[in-house]
Formats: sequence, C-alpha cells, structure tokens
Amino acid sequence: MTLRTLGAGTARTAGTVLASCLAVLLVVAALPWLSGTDPARTVLRMRFAEREPDQQALEAIRAELDIPANPLLGVLHWLAGLPRGDLGISWVSRQPVGPEVASALGVSATLAGTAATVAVLLAAAVLLPGLWRATRTGKPLGRTSGAVAGLLGSLPEFVLAALLLAVVAVHWGWLPTFGWSGVESLPLPALALGVPAGGLLARALSGGLDATIAEPWVRTWRANGFSRPQVLLALLRRGIAVAIPQLVLLFVGLLGSAVTVEAAFAIPGLGQTALDGLLSQDLPLVQGCVLVLILLGLGLGGAGMLAHRALLGSVLHTAEVPAAIPVSQPNSKLPAVLAVLLGLIVLAGLPRDGSSVLLTERLAAPSAAHPLGTDAVGRDILARFSSGALLSIGTAVLVSAVCLLIGLLVGLASRRGRAGAPDVLNALPPVLVGIVIAAAFGSGLFGAAIAVVLVGWIPLAVHARTLAVQARGSGYVRAATLGGARRGWILRRHLLPSVFPQVLRHAVVRVPHNALGIAALSFLGLGAPHDSAEWGAMLAQSLGYLERAPWTIAGPTIGLALLGMLAGSIRGTRN
Amino acid sequence: MPHRKRSLLCVLAAATLVSGCFAGGQGEGTDRIQLGLAFPPVKAMSPFSDDAATATRMGTAETLVTLDAEGTPQPALAASWRESDPTTWRLRLRTGATFHDGTPVTAKQVVASLQQAKEATPTPRSLAETDIDFAAEGEHIVVVRTAEADPVLIQRLSSPELMILAERAYQDDPTAPNPVRAGTGPYVLTKVNGATSATLEAFDDYWGGKPATPGIDVRFLSEGDSRARALRAEELDIAQALPAGQLGSLDADQLVSVPLPRTVNLSLNQESPVFRDAELRAAARAAVADLDIAKTIYEGDADPPAGLFGPASSWAEKPGYPEAKAADPNGRRISLATYSDRAELPEAASAVAEALRKAGFQVSVEVKEYAALEPALLRGDYDAVIGARSYVLDTGDPIGWLASDLACDGGYNLARYCDAEVDGLIRNAAEISDPAERNAAAVDISEQILAADVLVPLAHEKTRFGLGEGVTGIAEDPFERQIITKDTAKQ
Repeated sequence: MTLRTLGAGTARTAGTVLASCLAVLLVVAALPWLSGTDPARTVLRMRFAEREPDQQALEAIRAELDIPANPLLGVLHWLAGLPRGDLGISWVSRQPVGPEVASALGVSATLAGTAATVAVLLAAAVLLPGLWRATRTGKPLGRTSGAVAGLLGSLPEFVLAALLLAVVAVHWGWLPTFGWSGVESLPLPALALGVPAGGLLARALSGGLDATIAEPWVRTWRANGFSRPQVLLALLRRGIAVAIPQLVLLFVGLLGSAVTVEAAFAIPGLGQTALDGLLSQDLPLVQGCVLVLILLGLGLGGAGMLAHRALLGSVLHTAEVPAAIPVSQPNSKLPAVLAVLLGLIVLAGLPRDGSSVLLTERLAAPSAAHPLGTDAVGRDILARFSSGALLSIGTAVLVSAVCLLIGLLVGLASRRGRAGAPDVLNALPPVLVGIVIAAAFGSGLFGAAIAVVLVGWIPLAVHARTLAVQARGSGYVRAATLGGARRGWILRRHLLPSVFPQVLRHAVVRVPHNALGIAALSFLGLGAPHDSAEWGAMLAQSLGYLERAPWTIAGPTIGLALLGMLAGSIRGTRN
Repeated sequence: MPHRKRSLLCVLAAATLVSGCFAGGQGEGTDRIQLGLAFPPVKAMSPFSDDAATATRMGTAETLVTLDAEGTPQPALAASWRESDPTTWRLRLRTGATFHDGTPVTAKQVVASLQQAKEATPTPRSLAETDIDFAAEGEHIVVVRTAEADPVLIQRLSSPELMILAERAYQDDPTAPNPVRAGTGPYVLTKVNGATSATLEAFDDYWGGKPATPGIDVRFLSEGDSRARALRAEELDIAQALPAGQLGSLDADQLVSVPLPRTVNLSLNQESPVFRDAELRAAARAAVADLDIAKTIYEGDADPPAGLFGPASSWAEKPGYPEAKAADPNGRRISLATYSDRAELPEAASAVAEALRKAGFQVSVEVKEYAALEPALLRGDYDAVIGARSYVLDTGDPIGWLASDLACDGGYNLARYCDAEVDGLIRNAAEISDPAERNAAAVDISEQILAADVLVPLAHEKTRFGLGEGVTGIAEDPFERQIITKDTAKQ
C-alpha cells in the first residue's frame, strides 16, 4: 500500500466520521420536528410540573429559548460556539451545558471503568479453569462455562441492581443505597453493570478460545514440553486480542447506556443526563451529551483497533496466524434439558387465564391456585409468563438474526480495522435511538425492536471484523491471495467458515441481552404496550415489589435466565 | 513497542478510575437531619420554577403569608393585613425579621422581590391574569393594589413563587434569583450541588426563634423506591412522598400520612364518539363503581372516592349520584390513557380497563411518561384519561381548578367539558370573597359535574412521609409547601 492510498483511506475515514457525527447531531436537533412536540411545552413542563400550558406561558418560554427556525440552523448555531468551548446553555435550567456534561462524564467514566474491570475479572473467572484444563488435555472449554456465561449475561441489570440494593445496602447495611459520594458508592452499581457484561464478554471470547485451543500449534507446544503456564499465556494472548475491541465497545456503551442502573442508585451519570434532556427536549444538553459520547466512542474505538493490531501485529507481519478451525463438540444433554424445562413451564401456563384482574388477589404468594403467584393487579403470573414467552423470545430471536446478518455483512466488508460509523452508533445510548424511532414512527414493540437492532449489530460487526483481520493474516488466506484467488472465493471458502460460527454463537448469546434491551425501552413506554405480557414489560411493572413480592420478579427473571443458559450452552457443531 | 502501548493503556485506565469525581460534601455532625426530597431542582433553585416549593419545603425561604390546612391565610413575613378598599390591601411586615445575609426585611426589599416575580417569564401562575401593583409605605407597610377587586388576593401571596429574598439573590441574574444565603427561613441554604444535594445551616437569628437542629442535608432522589430504601438503611431521617408499593416494607410508626387535596379522576372525554353519549358515560361510571383502588392499589393509604373533593378539605361533602340510565356498551372501542410518572396510576389503569371490558367496552390502554403524553391529552386524543390532580391551585380553594379544568375555555380541560350554565356558576363563584361561601359554591358545582359523569373520582391521594427514629416536628401541609420547620428535630 502506498502512502498516497493510505492518506486517501484516512481522509475517507475522517470524512465518514465527520458525516456521521453531523448526521447524529442533526437528528438530535430535529427531534422536536420529528416528534411534533413543541420544546417550549416540554421545557415548561419540566419547570412547572402542574402548570397548564397556556399561550402566555408558552410564548414567554419560546421568546426566552430562542428556538431555531429549523434543525440545520440550530446545529450550525450550536457548532459555532464549539471552538470557544461553549456547549450552549441548557433550555430548562439555564445553566451552561459544558460543566454539567463534564461532571456527568467523570461519573460515568469512573463507573464504566469499574464495571468493565468487574466484567474482565468475571470473564476470566469463568474461562480460566477451562483454559487451564485445556493446557493439559487440549479439550475445548466445555458447556458448563458457556451456560454460566449465558446465565450471567441474561441477568437484567435493573433486577440485579434492585437485588443488590435490597440485600447488601438495606438488609446488611454495608454500602450506601444511593448517591455518588465516595469510593463506597462504587461497588454495587459496578457489580450490577459488570456482572451481565462479564457474562457477555466470556461468551464472546469462549468461541475464539475454543478455536485457538484446537489449533495444531497447541498440540505441538504441549507435545514439545512447553510448560502449562507458557501454553496458557500464549492462549490468553490470542484471546485478549479478540477481547480488547469488545471491551472498548463495552466501556463506551456503558458510558451512555447505564440509565437504569444510574436511576436505581441515583447516580448523576451521562446516561441519566442525556435521558432527562431527551424527555424535556433540552436540545443543547442532549447535543452536548451526544457529542461527548460520539467523540469518546470514536477515540476509544480507534484506540481499541490499534491495541488489537499491536497485540496481533507482530504475528500478522512476521509469522503466520493459523486460521481458526471450527471445533466439533461432544454431544451434551444440557441444552436439551434446559429447553425442555423452559418448554414445560410455558406449556403449563398456556391453558391458564392471565388477563383477569382481581384486585383482592393482588400480590398473592405462590399457591396451588397460582403456582407462580399473582402480580400487582392480581393476574396469574404463570399464565402471563407463558403468553409473554413467544412474544419475548420470538422478538429477541428475530432481532438477533437481523443483527447477525448486518454484523456479518459490515464486519466482513470492512477491509481494515479503523474507527467509523459503528463506533459512532455504539456510543449512542439505545434510549436515544429508541426515542428518535418512537418520535418518527410511533412507539411500540416494532419500534423498540428496530432501535435494538440499530445498536445490537455493532458488537457482532466488530467481532466479525476482528476475526476477519485475524483470518486474513493466516497462511491459507495469504496463500490464496497470492495465488490469485478472487475475493468472493476467499470470502466463501476461508473467511466465512472461520468467522461465522463464532459470530453466530455470539449472536445466540445476545438473544436474552436483546430481550433485555427491548425491556429497557418498554420500561420508558417506548416498547411493548402497557399490560403486555412481554417479559421485560412484566419486570418493569413489578420491580418496585422485589422485596414484598419477589415472585413477581422471579417468573420473568427465571425465564430470561433459562433462555440465557440455553443460548450459552448451544454450540455450533460442525464436522 | 506493544508492551509500551499496553502499559500506557493501563495508566490511562487507572487515571480514569482515580480521577473520577465523586460528588461528596455533606455537613458535619450526627445530629444534622438528612432529608430526602422527591423533586430535584430544575432551574438551579430559581423561585420562578417548581424549585420555589423546594426552597420553602427545606425551610430556607418564606412568603408573606402561608395557608393553613383549610386554605385560610396565616401570618408569615407579614404579621397582619387589612383591606383599605376593595382594590387596595395593606400588609404590615413582621418586625425583627432579617435575611440570611444579615440585611433587614424592609417594605422596600419585599416590594422589590414581588416586583421581580411579577416581571418573571412566564408570569407566576398566582399572578397571571391579574393586574397587580406593589408599593412600599414606610419601613413596614406593603401596599398591594389590583385593577379589579380580587377576593383571594391574600391567598395568592402564599404562592412559593412569591417568596421574599434579599437583594443579593437578584444581583447575578434577576430572571433566575439565587436563594443561597438570601432567604428568611429557619435554615440558611449554603450550597446546592446541581440536582444531587443541598446543604443548610441553622439560622440563629430566625424571627421565630432558634431552630432545633444544627443543619439539614438535602438529597434529591427522584425514585420513590430509592427514598424508601435510604430511609430503611437509616441514610435518611425524613423521606418525602413514599410510593404506596413500598409501604409494606416500612413500620407503621415510621409513616406520617397527610391527606392531600388531590383526586385521582377518570375523565370521560365529552367529545369522544363513545362518551358523547351520556348513557355510555353512566355505564362506564357504573363499571368502575365497585373498584376499591384506594384500599388495594394504594394499600389503604388513600381515601375512597367521596365526590370531587376529598377528606383533606373539611368543607367537602359526599354528594349522591342522581339515578342515571346506563346503556349497553355493546363492544364499543375506547382508548384509555394514563401516565407512568406515578407508580400507582398504571396499575389503576389496568384495573379500570378490566372493569370496563367486563362491562362490555373494548379498551386499549396507553401508558407514557407525562411529558410525552400531555400534548395528546390536551388535544383530546383519548376517550378516557386517568390522572391525579390537585384541586386547589394557588388560592387554597377549588374555584381556580374548576375554571381551568371544567370551564369551556379552561386551560386543562381534559374532559373537553363545556356547559354554559356551569360556566356561569364558576364565574359567579369567583366573585365571592368569603372563603366558606366559595367552598360551598364549589361543592354545588361539583354535583353538576358528577351528575353529568364528566369526572369519575377513583381515590383521594395522601402523601406519605417516612420518618427515622426520634424525628419530630415536620409540617403536615396538604399544600405540600412546608416540610422543615424551626421545630423539626431528631432526638
């Protein structure tokens, strides 16, 4: 590659990035036009919760806010202040946006950093035993670690937060229940965010590690008397190379998307700030948050790619990276057992009546009449669990399938790893995407599914991109390229077989995660309609009763956990 | 090279972790009171927003008069008042009151404060649509003139937005005054940490006497569950507005319930194709008549419906319904909306929807955040709406609420109700100056509203304070303007 083409590539990247930044800012600025809601009205509502929006009041606020005539003018005006470091004045509080966003960013960065650390430690704890075993036996990591990772990854953050608060903070009184006043404020929210993230991370890595374990060099090393720690380190190095871009995604994602956990612990973080701004259409505040998130996403996304190349680089340029080899697995009964269990519970509830409201039966404990208890308006939880199963699992599976397709297409198409549009999108809180979708198309389960797809394909694309970079560095592909093979042929014969199985597993383990993403939007009234038996909506409606009536939470949580374990223990077997 | 990059990454990560700013900074001492408030400041504590009530609740700012539970004006910074003529009132200020910065409370500064409020944008609701004029007469007399006789003028002055602040509050930005060290209440507001917390110290020169507690630390916790948890973990001494769902996990002696002049109503849209028909409205009312939302969803911590005005108002009486003929809904489709900001309302919506379905309606339910729902509510997009609303706005009596919620040109007429006769009655009632007669007129009007099935009351709300052990002396104010008083203490 000559210097000139390198320069052109960089310029093109910069262009793409700049264009995507501008596009996102424009969409934010266009929110009032998309939703058809007058910002003066939402600002009035924030300042005076119960004041009637009379014309005089609305006119006064309109005059004060100086609302731009169209989104483009609004963005240009706002951008004009940037060189002076001026992020504008909040429409609601009339305070400068810059300091508020900076302090929220500090909070979120600390929280996301700690949560990412928790996630890494947890992923290590899940994977290391199997890996250590593999240094002796050369066998894959096993289904148990997959199921454990799947289980952890399917725990809803907000349920975990409520559980930690009830037990550790209130019952034991060990840590504060709210706030951000010192180091003691950190462990609980970091755990609530880090544990599910650790599960996802472990799951994303285990596929790659299994493939690495099966590579011939491992057997050679073992046979030639390399010590087990030496083999382990070599395995880890390959694992970490794949992990770093995922970890960066995780960290950046956590910066703006920890809304439910921030709300549970009353932490003044970036996600909550952005959400408040969105709900009140406080455009300068939202634009400030979005800009910071995008810049960080791009910066860290680029850094993650550099780190990946640095870790893999010496191998890529000097020696050969063996292509990942699909691994065949011994059969196991675990997935079947989990599937049957889940199926039986659903079947048991199908004939039951889940719609009749009986206020006198409110929050009844599990009994013969109601095996899983009743909810806050006295409906049978087992019946609702069953009727919500198809909706929840079906939507999540569909979303994951679409994510997989997009992720593979984008991941394999990007020839070189560098920051781009995916990093811009990944940095955006899904809530923002959800609100924009809802503003443009109306709220509903379909809109929520689209919003989750819009951010859900990114980890898969990054995963595919990382794996493809590795595969392209392998001897097969280099030999094929040198031998004049066409790109399509290489893609079909070499890239897809080594990339697809791992990304597919990653996509499968994300099914419960996507269900949770839809649930989080349902929580804000942007997803499944009220009274829907969709599991996320059920959880959102019952969260306040965690201590008084734990069974209201148990049903859908167990459902998601079974789904997670099932997704985690299924492995692509291929001969 | 890779190693150097890796160590650089580690350093960066560590730096992020260490430099993360924690928002600490609470006052010293264990006998300080930890107060958990539900509404974080929205406009940096400017009184020209809902933050006004936050300042009066914390005991840092005061108004000229306050309202007692009956809505009758009581002396505060004004010791007494008299009507000079129907359009002129003279208020005599309390002697010996000083602002937190040591400057005396003079008629001149009181008038300056009121004048700033009058010029605020938008005009405070209590002064909107009035032509009012403030003047100082000597050191201690404030003269208030109105263009037309205003029977509830003194009550209007109790609105927290008309709080009296020292000159320093207006120096930086007169459109957004800063009440830090500028109020007159028993506690000096010394610091506000954004929407997170605030710190107050006792004001030993308070005109009412030395406060009982050395200081107050306020935490703003918008989630009701957070406030309940923090109270149980003894991180808070006083928690405002606990959600009904959390009451089961608290001891009864920790709770103080205050009936509020706030009714949960089902408004039936008079312009909807279904509820235009009075017989279908009667069918809807009959369908929900047996729902005991107060006892079930509100866990007994609300009062069952007794007309539009609840037990918080001693003058309210339970009117009977006249015989009404109900029609068979015959599967007519209706939409029912409510907002999720109050946890109990969506549950009430589920119960009401089910009751309506049993009666033969086909019901679709829409639940959203209030801010997202409001435009559609005001446009009259839904056939029925469940909402909780205070029926005493600024004047301590329900006439203003009737005018805004049930008059043809009312600004918040969710039921889109318009009846020329009722309009006339509301206009007449607004002219009455005797508070008891105004309330009686409101009760008369409410009977017509109920008979027409415009609003179907479902419950009367209470507010629930959670108190830690040994906490005494909080104000039980149905107007939700006072919490901390000079007597609030922790043993």
